[in-house]
Amino acid sequence: MEEPALIRAAQRGDLEAFNRLVLAYQEALFNTALRILGDEDLAADAAQEAFLSAFRAIHAYRGGSFRAWLLRTVTNACYDELRRRKRRPTTPLDPEGDDGEEVESPRWLADPSDSPEQALERAELEHAIQHCLEALPLEFRVVVVLTDIQGLDYKEAARAARLPLGTVKSRLARARLRLRECLQAFWELLPAAFRLLEERGA
Amino acid sequence: MNNSPSFRDVERLSAYLDGHLSPTETARLEARLASEPALRAVLEDLRQARTLLRHTPRRRAPRNFTLTPRMAGLRPPVPGGVPLLSWASALAALLFFCTFSGNLIGQLAPRSAAPAAAPLPVMGGGPVESADVFTEAAPLLAAPAEPEAADAARLAETTPTLAATPEETIFAAQEEPAQPQAKRPAANLWPFVWLALAALLGGAALLLRWAARRRFRRKYPY
Repeated sequence: MEEPALIRAAQRGDLEAFNRLVLAYQEALFNTALRILGDEDLAADAAQEAFLSAFRAIHAYRGGSFRAWLLRTVTNACYDELRRRKRRPTTPLDPEGDDGEEVESPRWLADPSDSPEQALERAELEHAIQHCLEALPLEFRVVVVLTDIQGLDYKEAARAARLPLGTVKSRLARARLRLRECLQAFWELLPAAFRLLEERGA
Repeated sequence: MNNSPSFRDVERLSAYLDGHLSPTETARLEARLASEPALRAVLEDLRQARTLLRHTPRRRAPRNFTLTPRMAGLRPPVPGGVPLLSWASALAALLFFCTFSGNLIGQLAPRSAAPAAAPLPVMGGGPVESADVFTEAAPLLAAPAEPEAADAARLAETTPTLAATPEETIFAAQEEPAQPQAKRPAANLWPFVWLALAALLGGAALLLRWAARRRFRRKYPY
């Protein structure tokens, strides 16, 4: 069944149709939440909460990018989670070893299809990006995650973040500049493959 | 002349990277880029940041986020006929209660109230009848028959109990039921009819619900 048909069925209360949409978008929502929140467990909770809210509110969906509509629900869930976290601080993203030091490449970062070197490179890149993202103010972080990581265009990102188009443009420009400055600190640590990628302007 | 790009320039460069500038703005910016190395450097910074972000490793979802009917607050739908059957069953139960309690009150009523109850209720009221009713009712029924002897004789023939003495009437009423008693069994059936109807309708409503629930579980087995 095509996406519009699944959406229409879900709007009529068909949970099975909605669950097929969940399977199609769960990685996008989880990764968005992960980049905004920086914590896997919180991100999973936020994604679950977002899908639940989406099912309850799907009758209010009036066309347009369904992906952007879903990303808005997960963004809202992240804001809620961050408000909760402010009241009850939780553990940091990087787990600590027995000696109390941060584990550089925790086991749960590994992709089983990667070689050990690739896994290490991925982990280093992810660590650098996540570190720099978390250094951004939340409102910049949300915009940059929606556009540069999730690949939404400006209009979709404005819809997802409930912001005017001009605000999205301006926040994105600031966020990119700050990220570039932050990532320069990690430059030598970044995998060679990514440095070459940048130099080619990919 | 200050060549460091302003924030407006950075915004334009970022939009330019994403192809969000109008053709006029694009042409103007490209002309400036050709002549301003600082602007080119900022553009390069923005491009590098965007490239890295686009290559952010994607994580697999740690589990499926599919919803169960319980999470979604879904319940088996109520079939269309269920409310109607439920109301009809409730009404039948109420009628059963009214008829049954009417009979019970009639049975428990004091004997002195019997004459008032002589005109029997249309539906049931069976137990109200007793020998007293007929003994007291007998003269009343017999009275108009007195003036004409022939009529009285006919009456005596057809309804011997009406012309008899009270003692005989009691005896007769106990031995052989009077004419009104012929209707009593039908009247006494009403409570059971209502009860059976209530049970039938209630059962049908439950059956429909059960079938709907079964269909729902088949559709959402998780």
